Formats: sequence, structure tokens, C-alpha cells
Amino acid sequence: MTAATFPLTDTWAAGADHRAPGGTGIRREGQGFVAMAKTGTRAIGALLAAVLGASLAGCSSTGGKRAEERAAQSAGGGSGVDTPKWTVAMVTHSGAGDTFWDIVQNGAKQAARKDNIKFVYSSSNQANEQAQLVQAAIDQHVDGLVVTLAKPDAMKDVVAKAVKAGIPVITINSGSDQSKAFGALSHIGQDEKIAGQAVGDELDKRGKKHAICVLHEQGNVGHEDRCAGAKETFAGTMDNLNVDGTNMPDVQSTIQAKLQADKSIDAVVTLGAPFAATAVKAKQQASSSAEVDTFDLNAQVATALAAGTIGFAVDQQPYLQGYEAVDLLWLYRYNADVLGGGKPVLTGPQILTQKDAAALAKYTERGTR
Amino acid sequence: MTPATTLEKPAGQDGPDPGGKAADDRLVHRSLARRLMGRPELGSVVGAAAVFIFFSVAADSFLQWSSFGTVLYAASTIGIMAVPVALLMIGGEFDLSTGVMVTSSALVSSMFSYQMTANVWAGVAVSLVVTLAIGFFNGFLLTRTKLPSFIITLGTFLMLTGLNLGFTKLISGTVSTKSIADMEGFDSARVLFASHLTIGDIDLKVTILWWAALVAVATWVLLRTRAGNWIFAVGGGADAARAVGVPVSRTKIGLYMAVAFCAWISGQHLLFSFDVVQSGEGVGNEFLYIIAAVIGGCLMTGGYGSAIGSAVGAFIFGMTSKGIVYAQWNPDWFKFFLGAMLLLATLLNAWVRKRAEATA
Amino acid sequence: MSALVKLTDVSKYYGNIKALEAVSLEVHAGEITCVLGDNGAGKSTLIKIISGLHQHDAGTYEVDGEPVRHSSPREALDHGIATVYQDLAVVPLMPVWRNFFLGSEPTKGRGPLRRLDVRTMRETTRSELLRMGIDLRDVDQPIGTLSGGERQCVAIARAVYFGAKVLVLDEPTAALGVKQSGVVLKYVAAARDAGLGVVLITHNPHHAFLVGDRFVLLKRGAMAGSYAKTGITLEELTRQMAGGSELEQLSHELAREG
Repeated sequence: MTAATFPLTDTWAAGADHRAPGGTGIRREGQGFVAMAKTGTRAIGALLAAVLGASLAGCSSTGGKRAEERAAQSAGGGSGVDTPKWTVAMVTHSGAGDTFWDIVQNGAKQAARKDNIKFVYSSSNQANEQAQLVQAAIDQHVDGLVVTLAKPDAMKDVVAKAVKAGIPVITINSGSDQSKAFGALSHIGQDEKIAGQAVGDELDKRGKKHAICVLHEQGNVGHEDRCAGAKETFAGTMDNLNVDGTNMPDVQSTIQAKLQADKSIDAVVTLGAPFAATAVKAKQQASSSAEVDTFDLNAQVATALAAGTIGFAVDQQPYLQGYEAVDLLWLYRYNADVLGGGKPVLTGPQILTQKDAAALAKYTERGTR
Repeated sequence: MTPATTLEKPAGQDGPDPGGKAADDRLVHRSLARRLMGRPELGSVVGAAAVFIFFSVAADSFLQWSSFGTVLYAASTIGIMAVPVALLMIGGEFDLSTGVMVTSSALVSSMFSYQMTANVWAGVAVSLVVTLAIGFFNGFLLTRTKLPSFIITLGTFLMLTGLNLGFTKLISGTVSTKSIADMEGFDSARVLFASHLTIGDIDLKVTILWWAALVAVATWVLLRTRAGNWIFAVGGGADAARAVGVPVSRTKIGLYMAVAFCAWISGQHLLFSFDVVQSGEGVGNEFLYIIAAVIGGCLMTGGYGSAIGSAVGAFIFGMTSKGIVYAQWNPDWFKFFLGAMLLLATLLNAWVRKRAEATA
Repeated sequence: MSALVKLTDVSKYYGNIKALEAVSLEVHAGEITCVLGDNGAGKSTLIKIISGLHQHDAGTYEVDGEPVRHSSPREALDHGIATVYQDLAVVPLMPVWRNFFLGSEPTKGRGPLRRLDVRTMRETTRSELLRMGIDLRDVDQPIGTLSGGERQCVAIARAVYFGAKVLVLDEPTAALGVKQSGVVLKYVAAARDAGLGVVLITHNPHHAFLVGDRFVLLKRGAMAGSYAKTGITLEELTRQMAGGSELEQLSHELAREG
């Protein structure tokens, strides 16, 4: 009996009372539980009331969902082919909640819808887990497989297994060097290093002398590659700066501190779109005149490009990577078509500046650029 | 409240005969030095001074007013959460869900305003209610199940992490919320949660004011109210507290709701400062809050600590993390330096407290 | 003179385990009722019923002649029944004055400015302890730094100050040395002289006999005897506590084997 062992635990000890003879209908500690449960119910009731009340209260005449709906355009559309429902699995090295991979998925889903394909997505930023996820896709006998080769050595065996099982494989994003050797049909994407090199060139073109490369996830191979690529082609000096990507205020204050510490910095390069806007804030707070540039795109970056607060963004068109991979698998199954002729198909880098911004806004808003 | 009965001093008892007036004087004149020595935050203050001096020497740009503003801002974003986390630790419990709870709060506020096309203040209010409900959930579950708070809030942490991502993608279609910067009420809400004012060369974020206010209120509650007495009691001896009539469950639930309230403030700052919220943010920050509280003199086992200490802890953290940047050290070693500095500050803290106790 | 507290045939079950069966006792003002028993005899169950932590399942529990059923220690306190536990009387890390008023803190001011009356708390603690003969160097020192006996005394002084009519003491001398035990027993006697009814739970017949007016012996959850001071000698009490007839039988068995 727990009641005997823990005499002071009022609820569960009292629970024992309920089984005891001759004690029903009398007020006891156990009722505390009922009372608390009632408090809980009341709290939830109050919560609902408050939510309803607040939604009835002040409406915003600007922005919000309604504005989006007003401007909405349906980009959907049903399937336009009569092939059977094939299944394509995509397994990436993305962590949870990454904007970039979100757009890749959106592209893949759009292609899947058009090609009557069932699209399944999974990801893990741990190499061995990613390999297990590929194995799981093989076990399900999918009709096509899309993988990223961020850590090629860990993926080698399992990709070979898929090829051996007769599953067509397309690699995307990273792994252009290994794709062919592993037996993939094509590689769609652009190496992080190439994107970095493009940034280095662009910085030179803009006459920058001292740049910092803001790494928001320490130890991420792709991020290191981006910075390394930029360093390679950039004629000025480039420092790396580590920030904690899960803590936006920390990102801001760290960039701020760096800019205050070294006034000669004239360019800040962020590796992910969400951090560009934060870098702009940091720059303003530090009263620095450095230019903020970024890898990747999102709605905020597109707006900032248009406003001129961000110099340029280098895009590798993630939507295209997802879309093309799925569509190419369909083409291969339908018509045995292969793209690229054994060479990687590049989706970037594309340098986007103020003049491109207006056209982009619409696409970034809906999450396809 | 008068004694119902009076007791005569038992005859022939041992121990020194009370010194009457002289003894009373001793009570009144507790020396300032001794009172300071007894404070839990003493060690951390010495640690903070050491870190400050260190970076003043090691980093040229550390000692300028603008840098001071940056350091204070960094400290305040940790400090706002470190205050209730310290109270909770004094009350003998942990909360591992604090980091993601901040993000949840920001997400709720942003998505509600956007989806309902409501004035952003409506979203702010709904967010407050939802966040407090999460805090209540933590406290309620803890007091009803008697499971360790480590397990319960670990569960909440994982659930919230999933809910943040799941709901954001379900509602917004992407992993971040849409910008609400063009909506009504945004500007006034920004003034409250994310504005800054410039005094001379120093740029002060409004979070610093929130932080200072929270520390003051928490210190008042802790030292001068019944609730504060109960917080110390439930952390230092829950069974003894219950036996003398302290509402242990209510106190603990209240503490969890205080944590939620501050998570709401932090969350609104996140939203109004950056316009959009990334759903994956906040993971790992819970440890920073706990670290700040511990550096500030909170006992991991409960029953001892202070709100001011947590503020000093957050300040040490802010100085260290930004000081390394000002010193322009190789960023690859950043985390190592950070860990080493924190460990040193904590060791110094422990050493000072030991010395203080020995002389007290 | 009617009893302050009167238990008649009180029983308590945990599921189908009888923790206490048909126990009766009376506590009168200005008297000490000792409850004696070995480990597991039901002393702690009895104390928990009296103090309101648990409720009895059968029998009657009267305070001043009124049948009661306390649902919490707070309710028992409101009836003037204060319990001092051996190990959980105080919160060790808290200052003496905060411990003294814990759960019944005096406040001043209104609304958000309602605050602890710290001055009163400090001074009252000091004067009340002084009245008990405890002269503390500093009421701000954590109570954990006091000796076991002093802590018991603070707890007793607290109960008396808050108007207890009946003081329930759970093994107050169990963890103490001879000298400290003597000090505590003096305070117990002082409380009795002040007109309180005292329930003293102990397994030490010598301590019980020194101060007790009535003796209730428990054995395996049941009453093994109830005596007034005039009806029993220390030798008999000790013999009963040590196991009584069982012990005699054991000694016979051991003698035969030896």
C-alpha cells in the first residue's frame, strides 16, 4: 500500500481511503482531487471564453489572413497524367523546422500532385538516422527515391542497396561529386561551396573589404562549406561568427557585439534567410554601415531586398530541387528519361538583388521561393 | 494574533540566562557586513566583477557605452526568464519547457492575430491565456501525479516542440509565421515589448526595463510576502510546510504560472522584435535560464536562492557570451570559452560563499 | 472536567490492512497523555488521525465533546490541536523567525502592498523563545543550525504561541541525547503547567513515566493497556513495553536451549 509508505502524499494516500470500509460519503482529502479537476475544467472554460472574446474583439483592417486571401491565387491544380499512383520517398539531412527544406518539400509536393505521385518525406540531421530512413523507404518498396548526400560516406551503402533493389535514385542539393559513383540517375542542385564562391565574387564586385560569415548552427557541414566557398573567392578578409540559431535575441546581440568590436566590417553574410533580418537589426543597433547579404530567400528577405536593407541574396532555388527530382523520377518511370548526361544539373547559384525583389515577393510569400 | 497561553520559564533550565536589554540590542544591530555575507547572491556578484574586469582588459571594445547596451540586452533576454526559473528552483522544482514555451507564446500570438486578421493586441491577450494555461498544466500535473518535475516538464518540452512545428506548418504552411508588421496594433505593442531608447551613447532595449521590474517584484515577493515565505518553505521542506498549513500545491502551481507569464513576455519580445517567428526556436535556452539561476546562488535542491542572484547570473552570462566576441577570439572555440568562463564564475561563487559561511 | 480530546474505539484501515483498531484515549487540560508502543504499533497512524493528516474509519473522535473529522492539518489547527513532528517540524534552510510563523504569517498593508510584518515577526520570535528560555544569538540564522532539542523547542513554542489547546508531540526525544532530552521534557512539562493538554508519543517508558499522567500502550495496531499514573509502576510499564509476557516466554525458550 503506497498509503502506508508515503503518508503525506495527500492525493494517492487518500485514494486508498476510497477502498476502505465505512468511510463513504464523508468529506476527505481525496475530494481535493475532484476540486482541483474542477478548477482545471473551469480554467479551460475561462480559456475558451477568453479566446472567443479576443477573436470577437478588435479586428485588424490591415495585413493578416484576410489580406492574404484577398490577394490569393490558387497555385494548385489536379493531376494531369494517367500513370498509376507511384510512391516517391525523399530523405534529407535537414533538421526540424528548416525554411529551406520546407520550400524543397513544397516543390516536390507540387510535382507529385501533377504527376499523380504519392510523396513521402522524412529527414534527420544525424547521418546514421538518415541512412535508416532510406532503408525504411527501401523496405516499403517505393517507386523512386530522392536523397541528399550531405554525409556521403554514411549514405554510400544504403544508396547502393536501393539501386540494387531496382529503385531509381536521384540525389539533390549536396553530393554532386558522389552522385554518379553511387549509382544515382541524376543530381539536381548546387554544391554549398559553389554558392559560397558566388557570394565571394559578388562581395568583391561590390568592393567589400571585410566580411563576417554568420554560422547559426555550429558544426553543420553545409554551413562550413558555404563560408569556406565564400572565403575562397573573396579578396578581402572574412571572419566566421558563431551564433545560437535557436535563440534569435542571442543572434542579434552577438552580431551587434561583433560589429561594435570591429568597425572595419563592411559586410555581414548570414547563412539562412531568417537571420538576415536579424542581422539588419543588429547592424542598425550597432550604428554600423555594413551591408547585410544572405544565402537563401524568404518573404522577409524579399521585402528587405526591395527596401534596400539587404544587399543581395544568393538563391539555389530549393523549390526547383524538390520539383525536378520528383518530376524526373516520373519521367524515368514513364519514359526512361534521364537529365544531365551524367553531370550535375545546377539550380543555382543565382544572385538576387533589389531589381529582382518585386517579382519575387509573390513567390516568397506563398513559400515557393 | 496573541498567545493564548503564556509559559513560565521552566525552572532550573540550562543554557545562558537571557541578557535582557543587551540581548535585544544584538538583534537590532546586525552589522551590514554580516547581513551581506548571508546573502545567496554574494558569490555571484564577486564573480560578475571578476568577469567584468577580465573582459575590460582582454577586449578593447568591451568598455564602451554602446557595448554595455548590447551586453545588457543579451543579459536581459536570459534574465527575464531566469527570474521565475530561480523562484521555481527555490520552490524545489525544475522546468525544462521554458525555452520552447517562449516560442510557443510568440507563435500563438502571431498566428492568432494573422489568421483571425485581428488587432495584434487580441493575439497578445490570447497568447497570455494560452501560455498561462501551459504553466498551469505543468504545475497541476506535477502536484497531482507527484512525478518529478524533470520528467513532467521534459514531456511538456517535447510536446511543445512538436506542437510548435506541427501547428505552424498546419496553419501557415511554412516553418515560420507570416509577418504581422503591417497589422493594426503592431506599433503600439512593439513599444511595450521591443522598443529601445537611446540615452547618450547607450542604447537601452525595453527588455532591460522588464527585466529590472521583474527582479524587483520577485525580490519583494520572495522576501516580504507570505507567498515568498511559502516558496522557500515548499522548496526547503515540502512535508514540513504542508504540516504547518502552507498550501503546497497552490504555491507550486503559482510558480509554474509565473514562469509562464515571463515566457509570455519573452515570447512577445521575440515576436515584436523580429516580426516573424521561427517555429524551431528556443530549444536549449531552458538550460541558460537554469544556469543563470544557479550561478546566482540558487541551490539545485531547492529552498535557497534569490531573484537578484539570477539577474547577476544572467549578467555574467551576457558579459561572457558577448565579451568573447568583443575579444575577437577564434569563434570555433566559442562554446569552450563560454563553458570555461561559466564554470570559473560558478566555482568562484561557491568559494566565496563557503568563505562567507565560515566567517558568519 | 471533560476531556479536550477524546478518542473512542477509533480504527483505521489501509485497504484490508488494519493499521489501528479500537483505540481509545483521553487528553485533559493540564495533563500529559503518553502513547507508548514499539515500531509498527500504530503510533504514527494515531498521530496522523489526531493531527488531521488522515481520517479514522470507525469510532469517534471528539474535541471538547463535539465529534469531528479533520480533513487537513489546518482544520485540526483551527480546533486548537497542534502537532510537532520529530523530523518534519521545520524547514532547515529558513531563518528561525520565518519558520516560527510559517503558514500563519502576520501581514500589514493592503492589496498589492500587503506584506510580511517582518519587525513583529522577528521580535515576537525572539521574545517567545526567550520566554521558553532559549536565547538565540540571531533569529536570522537558518533553523537547521540549531540543535535537535532547540528545534523541538522552537516548534513547541510556535504551537503554544498560536493558541494550541492540545499539543501532540511525535517522539520528541527519540533522536536526542540524554541532556537534550531532559531540556525538551522540561518544556513539555512547562506546556502542561500552562494548561495545555499534551499527547506525548514515545517508545521510551522512562521519559513517559517522568512526565505522564495517563499511559496508553499500543501493540500491533491495538490497545494493549490504558493506565493512570497511579495504576502502574515504571517497572511494569517498562516490562510491558519490552514485550511483557512475550519476553518472558522468549527468555524461557532461550534458557532451555542454552
